[in-house]
Amino acid sequence: MNGRRLRSPASAAISLVVPLVLVALTAVVGASGTPSFEGTVTLILCNLVIVLGLQVFIGNSGVYSFGQLGLAAGGGYVAALLTIPAAFTALQAPDLPKLIADAQLGPVPSTLIAAAACGLLALVVGWPLMRTSTLAIPISTFAFLIVVYNVLANWDPVTGGSSGLISIPRTTDVTSAGLWAGAAVVVALAFKWSASGYRLQATREDEVAARSIGIGLMRERLLAFTISGMLCGVGGALAVHQSGVLSPTTFYFAASVTTITMLVVGGARSVFGAVIGTVAVATVNELLRNVEEGAHVLGPFSLGETPGLAAIGLGLILLVTMIALPEGLSRGREAGELEPIRRRLRLRAPATSPATAADQPRPRSARGSSGGLRAEGVSLAFSGLQVLRGVDLELPPGEALGLIGPNGAGKTTLVNVLSGFQTPDSGSVLLDGVDATGWSPARLARAGLGRTFQAALPFAGLTVIESVAVGAMGVGVGRRRAVGAAADVLERLGLGEQAQSPAGLQPPGNQRLLGIARALATGPRHLLLDEPAAGLNDEERRELVAILRGVIEDFGCAILLIEHDMNVVMDLCSRVQVLDDGETVVVGSPEEVQAHPAVVEAYLGTSYAAGAHA
Amino acid sequence: MTEAAQSLIDALALGGLYALIAVGVALIYTVMGMMNFAQGEFIMLPAYTLYVLAGLPFAVAIGAALVTGIAIAVLAERVAFRPVRNADLSAQLVTSLAVATILQNVVSASVDARAQSVATPALLSESSQVGSLSVPNLEILTLALTVIVLGGLGWLLYRTRIGLEMRAAAENFEMARLLGVRANRVIAIAFAISGALAAAVGVLIVMQTGQVSPTMGLTPVLVGFIAVVIGGFGRISGAVVGGLVLGVLSSLLGTYLPDGLVPFRDAIVFSLPVAILIVRPQGLLGAATGEARI
Repeated sequence: MNGRRLRSPASAAISLVVPLVLVALTAVVGASGTPSFEGTVTLILCNLVIVLGLQVFIGNSGVYSFGQLGLAAGGGYVAALLTIPAAFTALQAPDLPKLIADAQLGPVPSTLIAAAACGLLALVVGWPLMRTSTLAIPISTFAFLIVVYNVLANWDPVTGGSSGLISIPRTTDVTSAGLWAGAAVVVALAFKWSASGYRLQATREDEVAARSIGIGLMRERLLAFTISGMLCGVGGALAVHQSGVLSPTTFYFAASVTTITMLVVGGARSVFGAVIGTVAVATVNELLRNVEEGAHVLGPFSLGETPGLAAIGLGLILLVTMIALPEGLSRGREAGELEPIRRRLRLRAPATSPATAADQPRPRSARGSSGGLRAEGVSLAFSGLQVLRGVDLELPPGEALGLIGPNGAGKTTLVNVLSGFQTPDSGSVLLDGVDATGWSPARLARAGLGRTFQAALPFAGLTVIESVAVGAMGVGVGRRRAVGAAADVLERLGLGEQAQSPAGLQPPGNQRLLGIARALATGPRHLLLDEPAAGLNDEERRELVAILRGVIEDFGCAILLIEHDMNVVMDLCSRVQVLDDGETVVVGSPEEVQAHPAVVEAYLGTSYAAGAHA
Repeated sequence: MTEAAQSLIDALALGGLYALIAVGVALIYTVMGMMNFAQGEFIMLPAYTLYVLAGLPFAVAIGAALVTGIAIAVLAERVAFRPVRNADLSAQLVTSLAVATILQNVVSASVDARAQSVATPALLSESSQVGSLSVPNLEILTLALTVIVLGGLGWLLYRTRIGLEMRAAAENFEMARLLGVRANRVIAIAFAISGALAAAVGVLIVMQTGQVSPTMGLTPVLVGFIAVVIGGFGRISGAVVGGLVLGVLSSLLGTYLPDGLVPFRDAIVFSLPVAILIVRPQGLLGAATGEARI
């Protein structure tokens, strides 16, 4: 029954257990060394919690944030101020509210409060930050880091100012750090494999395609930013309770570089990568520091300051990784997805059996629809160029409408307007009788509108079944039912055998089908296909027509088809609308349209000589 | 009145400096699509040239600083950034972060991690009488340099062949290549110009603060990034406006903030642009499409 799961149970178990074992081994090695070595290993495990926090946001969203260390700093200060004995707090931070100053909590409550506080801070700060564009998030989060530093370093009566805080109880030992790191591994993997995690990964792979299947970019990013903030808060809290001291530079730029290097070297997309990257980079870093200090004693590992040789080494490692191994040591794969393990599991896996139709969850299209999809008088100009001039279009439920016309006629622009990617200058879009003009692509997708693009826009980093299941998750279907729907759609399209292979490695014909499968998994009642047959051979075209006919008949789904291959259009569509220069030339049955003089002119090429479309 | 005019000149001088920083960042972004973290180190290394060459005539030291800025920018492009030219924005950003870390710590290890003071010509710490105002010579120099450099850059971009090639590359790199624009040359020259701009900024900062430190490029590079973002990604003119806005804002806040809040000036200056981005995600001058334009 491999076809109906996102991964085999064995693969999932290995992906979870291997990083946990690595964490446990690290802790055991630390516990068996000198106290100073144990301290170093403890701090590495604290770092690991922060790096896993980075993984949750950066790894799944593909967007770099420099603000996570600002959140770790917040966690460090909250935890420190909650645990420093009242008398010392009064000396270091006289203006701190009495409630916090007098508090002298144990390590676990203070860490949990730090996590909650950082989660809240991440939510409040992330709400505006995640609204900025993909391009701007690294910069606005970097600004946040500097703002945090500026406040911590100058708000002396509350934070102790630039000299920082001392006398923090040193309660984190290698066991507690190991346990927290293990918990962080579980949280990071659980998030990655949740519906929310998949939706975010889809935005990482392709923002436009993700919006077309109902995914709200900001919402998903904000959720991950918040969870990431909580993990970073825990890491910060643990680290200060290990070192006993804290200053505004502890979690600042150098620490950002260190943790990002750890994540990138291991491979940001995988939790396993975060673990091996942290261990590998920390080990190299320690070795370099020993060289630097003339190999005296193992100095305490300090996250904040790594001057000189060790930091140069860190930069070089990061540079070489980016150039030679951009996907990191893990290649972005979890332990259970590594090639040798994949091969062994495949050998032992039972043959995939197609699911019986009875237990397949259906896409949501069965529900009654009324009115269909309509465009009324849609006009749109791009910087003076009038692309659409008052176009009407009607796609009744269950019908297939062909949209044809020469290049530049405005076909794709019309589909973009219908699917919310462009807002028309005038005119309106009605979905089942409701005015949907100006709705976001995601909202339209959730309301039952699916689309594909001229380019396949695959979610290349996901497996075939993941990349289709995320279509259903995008419109809010739960993870279990989404996987069922995806398996169903894949069987229908003849891709069932490929379910567990990477989507990015599929041949072009399959990638095109995957685009359609992804849209179908959202359970659309109206499906807009932009040149689905482009690049397919004759046999694949015939199969495509059969599949699309099945979609209309079985799901009652209406199809709007942009296509240059007239055979495909004539085979499938009951009506055809011809667009030229942003205007409708004719709408009618395929026969009527084929006989229309303007169409004959356009398709037989007499216009070329006359230059009518220039 | 006089006081207001005085603070306006202060504000414009800082705005000019920030505009120079932003243009250096924006130039590389428009031509190569990379947000370059190491721009801060392109500023820091020429500043250290002044420190190392202390004792030589100041003009010689400045010339050497300029050469350093250009050399390090071109070298970084050749060694580190060319291999990731076709990688995505995040990968390029992280690569430049690596370069920044290496350069910063090479200086830390070879000179000192702490700030060092640099003697600057006495002339620059004096003021000139302009009407009823007493304007620091350094501000006059900064403003003059801003006007000259931006004017020169405008001439280069709009009146020369290489400028045309750069603008073509910024519009559509692949198409420009097909039409015979030599990518390696255009990008190398963009880095050279950016390095020269950074050197000018580094020299101005040294003259203003009288000291150098390995991390002195951190705040400027953030200033440059934010200016580019609020100006609208990838527009040189937008970067100039963004830099001016940020500098003027920062300077005026320094003058007019209540005493208790002055230490938090940076926090306020760096928070406000985010507010701009929420209202206008494409920046002040950015086109809605977000495509790079010079």
